[in-house]
Amino acid sequence: MAKKYGMIIDLHRCVGCGACDLACKSENNTPVGIDWASHKVETYGIFPKVTYTHTPTLCNHCEDAPCVRVCPTQAMHKTDEGFVVHDPSLCIGCKSCMLADPYGVIFFNKEHAFLDYATDDSSIIKGGTFSKKELSDKAKAPFPNFNAARGAGGYEAIRRKGAVEKCTFCNHRVAQGLAPACVVACPADARIFGDLNDEKSQIATTLKANKPTVLLPEKGTKPKVFYIRSYN
Amino acid sequence: MSINRRDFLKTTAGSAAVASTLSIFPEEVEAKTGELGYEGEVGKWVASTCQGCTSWCSIQGLVVDGKVIKVRGNPNSPSGGRICPRPHLALQQVYDPDRVKTPLKRTNPKKGRGIDPKFVPISWDEAINTIADKIMELINAGETHKFLLTRGRYTGLNEIMYGTFPKLIGSPNNISHSALCADAEEFGREQSEGYPAYADFDLQNTRYILGWSSDMVASNRQTPWFINQFGNVKDRAKITTIDPRLSATGAKSHRWLPIIPGTDGALAIAIAHVILAEGKWNKDFVGDFADKVNYFVVGQEVPTEIIVEDKKIPIVFNEIHTNGVVAWWNLELKDRTPEWAEPITGISAKEIREVAREFAEAGSRAISWTSPGSSMQIRGGISAFACHALNGLVGSVDSVGGILQQGSAPTAKTPDVKPYLDPRFAESLKKPKIDQRGTKGFPALEHMKSGQFVVTSRVAQAMLDQDPYDIKMAIGYWNNWVFSSMGTKHWEEAMAKLPFFAHITTNIAEMTMFADIVLPAKMHMLERYGFAKNKQNLTAYLSVHQPLIKPYGDAKTDETEVPFLIAQALAKKGFDLPLKYYQENFKDPETGKVPETAEEFDLFATKFFTKPCWDGSSNSKGDTINSWNELLDKGIWKSKRYKIGEKIGHFHTATHKFEFFSETLKAGMQNHADKHKMTLDEAIEAANYTVKGEAFFVPHYEPAVRYGDEKTYPFIFIDHRSRLNREGRSQNSPWYYSTKSVDPGDENEKDVTKINPLDGKKFGLKNGDKVRVSSMFGTIESEIKLWEGIRPGTVSKCYGQGHWAYGRVGSEIFGSKPRGGNNNDLYCYDWERLSGSNPRHGGHTRVKIEKI
Repeated sequence: MAKKYGMIIDLHRCVGCGACDLACKSENNTPVGIDWASHKVETYGIFPKVTYTHTPTLCNHCEDAPCVRVCPTQAMHKTDEGFVVHDPSLCIGCKSCMLADPYGVIFFNKEHAFLDYATDDSSIIKGGTFSKKELSDKAKAPFPNFNAARGAGGYEAIRRKGAVEKCTFCNHRVAQGLAPACVVACPADARIFGDLNDEKSQIATTLKANKPTVLLPEKGTKPKVFYIRSYN
Repeated sequence: MSINRRDFLKTTAGSAAVASTLSIFPEEVEAKTGELGYEGEVGKWVASTCQGCTSWCSIQGLVVDGKVIKVRGNPNSPSGGRICPRPHLALQQVYDPDRVKTPLKRTNPKKGRGIDPKFVPISWDEAINTIADKIMELINAGETHKFLLTRGRYTGLNEIMYGTFPKLIGSPNNISHSALCADAEEFGREQSEGYPAYADFDLQNTRYILGWSSDMVASNRQTPWFINQFGNVKDRAKITTIDPRLSATGAKSHRWLPIIPGTDGALAIAIAHVILAEGKWNKDFVGDFADKVNYFVVGQEVPTEIIVEDKKIPIVFNEIHTNGVVAWWNLELKDRTPEWAEPITGISAKEIREVAREFAEAGSRAISWTSPGSSMQIRGGISAFACHALNGLVGSVDSVGGILQQGSAPTAKTPDVKPYLDPRFAESLKKPKIDQRGTKGFPALEHMKSGQFVVTSRVAQAMLDQDPYDIKMAIGYWNNWVFSSMGTKHWEEAMAKLPFFAHITTNIAEMTMFADIVLPAKMHMLERYGFAKNKQNLTAYLSVHQPLIKPYGDAKTDETEVPFLIAQALAKKGFDLPLKYYQENFKDPETGKVPETAEEFDLFATKFFTKPCWDGSSNSKGDTINSWNELLDKGIWKSKRYKIGEKIGHFHTATHKFEFFSETLKAGMQNHADKHKMTLDEAIEAANYTVKGEAFFVPHYEPAVRYGDEKTYPFIFIDHRSRLNREGRSQNSPWYYSTKSVDPGDENEKDVTKINPLDGKKFGLKNGDKVRVSSMFGTIESEIKLWEGIRPGTVSKCYGQGHWAYGRVGSEIFGSKPRGGNNNDLYCYDWERLSGSNPRHGGHTRVKIEKI
């Protein structure tokens, strides 16, 4: 049977630390202002009876993804293993996907990502401290901690001006048999990733044993990121 | 397509040799990734140590083409390779474009906040020779005590720069940052348990955590391990968090007690009262009345005898492992009911009773967890004592499911400096230290002696008053006290008057702006050799640092390379004892080679100190490691699991018992009082405490100190930390600001002052309002955030932002305009004098808020 990749986030285990958000940035070379892995926080109640929740968010790789349906060039497409991914070379920057996406997890590059590292040669003290360009030149990379492995399979390791981008469930890692970066990074072991179609997989058995919820179920997109248990 | 994880171990590029020596990853590491792998990326994972907080976790960085691309935990660590968000931020720290890349010299003689030093690049030769010349001046003038070494964060190699270098050049003034950290917390543990250190916790077996401002999923100690265990702990145990603001841990606890700042001691005492009054103390640990009747009756001292049928029967409490439980009741606890505590703490008497009963119910598996928030207060030495004493009442000290001590990984003793001390320095070395520890108002007690703990922030005033003498020259490393200490104005003044200052630093921080010479430091986690010893999960360990990359600039290791270069320069000028000390005592333990270069010294000294962990001699005590290279591969040596229970009966207190009546504290205060020909009561008063007599030596109530009158300054200001603070060093990283909302109530890209919506209404303040927050001492700019997680009458702002220097991300205008506000600019300049601590918590400073 074909694979169908999905993710569970266990809110009982999650402590809202944000390590996932940062590991995603390291892995995927996202520039300032673009965070494929993020979170929403809520405070409700009245002092002293206050509840605070933190919910990790990312692309839901919906089974019925509106972003895929509306893309005029099929830059945004679904693979037969359930990844909703994007080919920046086909993207015309129309942002239809962003309009169609109810989750707000698609981002637009107004500039070439990390353009400042290619051009900014200012420094606090000339000859005494670095500049962004100097570091990039010395590193022989778009920026020093640039992850070249993100460019596997022809994906743009850093994205061009005018292209959109979003979480890919680290499909480049999964292709190598590696878990997504956020899953590896989570110190609380709150994320489970795997093949929903494999009955014996950890994700399938955990889903069966819990009462999973999804974000915005009423939008009918059939998200594949499931939340179990409760943050508080 | 099923991929065998073992296959990846073999095929990882360049890792064939590594695979044969690395531990096979424990199951719990691989379990987190399910059917997918953990290993198999291009590049090499190399171990090192993160010191972004005091957890000191063993980590790994992925090195590809000479660059570190990402980080993860070291699978060999006692936390199974888990790390919190901080190590990820280190990538932006090490590659910070604003890092110093070459030594700098000041050309503007004027020094002050906002003044441009007009630094120009110079060579290492010139920089080192300038420093060496200044040292020679002091030597020739017989004034070597006027040299000051200030140490901030450190590795085990601080034995070189901080531990011995000052002595070798004739100065007694090695001043650490320790008082800015958590000394009062350690102090509380010492007066009761005889253990002036941080604790470990049996999380897997605990049934109750009473957290005193402990925010373990965010910061302080063993953070990643606690994050990992939190879900399990919450399933098995009840968690109550006591914190003036709704912290990350508070938000996930079963119960949050929003205590009025500075009243933790009162709450602990009321809880103790309930435990004794209701007969719920641990009879096996504390003992019991001989006739099994509970004579702890509310409002009454325990009688010494009762009359039964005309016969006088003495009342005896057979105390087992504790000292002074009856004295504690008689001197303090008998009237300290929950009703008494309610108006002081803001916690209802009903809730206090519930918590006390729940806590005692869990008995020896109930942990009372003290943290800096509840101890680093002006009268926090005693509140820390009170909070920790609760463990003694329920018998959770050194018990299964309780709060534990820990040994430490074996390292080599620092070679004796005495044979290398120039006899000309004898007088100078005997001079009192510049921090005034042990002087009348600063007992700074440890091991029952006065003047043992550092009083870091006092150094500024001492320098200004030239008391006990003036300081002519200072070197500082890995610190930024002009920003991070209370009394920022005092530090700015003192540093402006200091004739010569050299700062070894990665960034041009506030303290650096007062420097005459700046030396670029290697970034600790990724560019140098070193080690850190710590404990997590019932395991003592030594985690090694090693260079994963070469720095892009001409940086050198602050703790080893710099003193070696100075020693070489001094030798050329005719003073060769420091160099002799280094070359004769730090030969390569593997080859016997004498260190000839600074880089060799960095490596050899690290090998030297860590040798007991890698030469096979400690294999029976923990991990098997038989070579230096094996230690580098594994990254960590771990001890065998801690044996619970062996400390009971052998506490390092005056009585060897767990002390409720602290003979330890009494002996220490007596030592201090005698030194200054004071009575004990005079000593207590000089230390700014109010309770006199014997009652001082049991955990007791002390009113909080608050600066500013309520009418002018209506809000009590609460400081808190961030799960993203790498102590003070992550605020020039863009990721810090883009992720800031992980701290409850805080906002991305902002430095908000959180206030309760009721106060917002009362004072006409709305979300987003730009405001000036002012105290008696200073003012900062901020932005309002209305938030329910904070008590009316208090406001809270996270510490960390507000840099006027450090870098162009951390400042609005580098060198003058801060981004956000530095809490320390608002604070009083005061101390917790029993421990010498910098009392940043406890609501010591009231503020007012005005719209801009």
